[in-house]
Amino acid sequence: MSMVDELKDLGANVDEAMQRFMNNAALYEKMLKKLPNMMKGTQVMDAIEAGNIEGAIETAHTLKGVLGNLSITPLYEAYTDIVTLLRQNNADKAKSILAESFPVEEKVIACIEKYQ
Amino acid sequence: MLKQQILIVDDEEINRVILRGLFEEEYEILEAGNGQEATVQIENNSNIVLILLDVVMPVMDGFWVLEYMKTHDLLQKIPVILITGETILDSDDQAYAYGVADVMHKPFYPHIVRRRAKNIIELYQNKYHMQERLKEQEEAIRAQEKKLREGNEFMIDALSSVVEFRSLETGEHIRRIKYFTRIMLKYLMKYFPKYGITPAQVDEIARASALHDIGKIGIPDAILLKPARLTPEEFEVMKTHTTIGCDILEKFRGQQDDEFYRYCYEICRYHHERWDGNGYPDHLAGEEIPISAHIVAIADVYDALVSPRVYKSIYANNIAYDMIMNGECGQFSPDVLECFALAKEDFFNIVEVIKMFDFSS
Repeated sequence: MSMVDELKDLGANVDEAMQRFMNNAALYEKMLKKLPNMMKGTQVMDAIEAGNIEGAIETAHTLKGVLGNLSITPLYEAYTDIVTLLRQNNADKAKSILAESFPVEEKVIACIEKYQ
Repeated sequence: MLKQQILIVDDEEINRVILRGLFEEEYEILEAGNGQEATVQIENNSNIVLILLDVVMPVMDGFWVLEYMKTHDLLQKIPVILITGETILDSDDQAYAYGVADVMHKPFYPHIVRRRAKNIIELYQNKYHMQERLKEQEEAIRAQEKKLREGNEFMIDALSSVVEFRSLETGEHIRRIKYFTRIMLKYLMKYFPKYGITPAQVDEIARASALHDIGKIGIPDAILLKPARLTPEEFEVMKTHTTIGCDILEKFRGQQDDEFYRYCYEICRYHHERWDGNGYPDHLAGEEIPISAHIVAIADVYDALVSPRVYKSIYANNIAYDMIMNGECGQFSPDVLECFALAKEDFFNIVEVIKMFDFSS
């Protein structure tokens, strides 16, 4: 199995992303490999805990854009909700969604790192 | 031709890479990671046909770039597609209010992004080039107009000079009348706004003044060229040059029904009318005399006084001036006399004045 196939199993809309990358699989993979670095640690959670909601929104917003373009659909949807909830000052709900998505996040990162 | 440039402004490399992939075959791609870098790229590149602009960025964000472009009048020229991660539509409104060409949402749909981008580039290029073309055409038309006007003026002067050459003069009279008329009108325009004279009208009246004596073509040689004072009967014939001039104009009128024709007619017919009503041919008095003809009349009288005639010698400038101001040589309106007083030095120094004013237009 390739990295792309494995990500497909994790819910990524690989076909859509391939279109976006003009069917250039190598480029898609190269960009996917930048993801672990971006998502490292628990930046959004840390910011919320520290009361830095603005910072949390900014980071979550950036991740949302990138995840969307890479078509990591489950995480894209999670971060979309997180951004919305944080803007509505609903930090608790945002935190719970963030916590729920951690396992998926770890799997995705582990998958990509395996091919690095 | 230079390759057209697209500027991609996004802080995330992944987003930039995707957008670059969409356009790099056809366009030269410029990138910027924040608003500050974007403005540097805009300043250093002259062939940007589209900016793809992310909203949320560090250092300076997308709206900051829009603000920069607005203050530098660039949004008319370079279309901006705002690429936003927002799913809510609030910022769309704000973006359109700035004058962005389009708003697109992440994640991108490549075919749509490409199609819309191309449409917008074409639209703006057409618009921009249309303006350029219009400007060029306008200049061409203006140049043509100037040429036509000059050609026209040449014909009018040539026609008018025929009469003068017949009476063995040099054609200088026509030229001087035009200068004097123009000088008078400039003062009238400046100090007597009640006449509502515009620079364009000054020009038309001055050109029309050349035709004032065109009717003399119909006066017999025996009278026109008589080397002595005219008898009262001969003078009556001589007076008809005003109405003969109008007859000629009427015959050539054709479709002409504009202001210029009206000035030609007024000047031909009424340049011997007097403010007190003792002129000819229609014995108009006071305000009945059109201002165009009244101005040409004073120019004509002054030039006659300072030029040699078979029946008189040359009067000095200041004598001619006094004769006109005293009302010895035909009655003029107080306004026109005041203009004449203001124009005195210009009349006296006609040679220098010709150099000072631009009479070519």
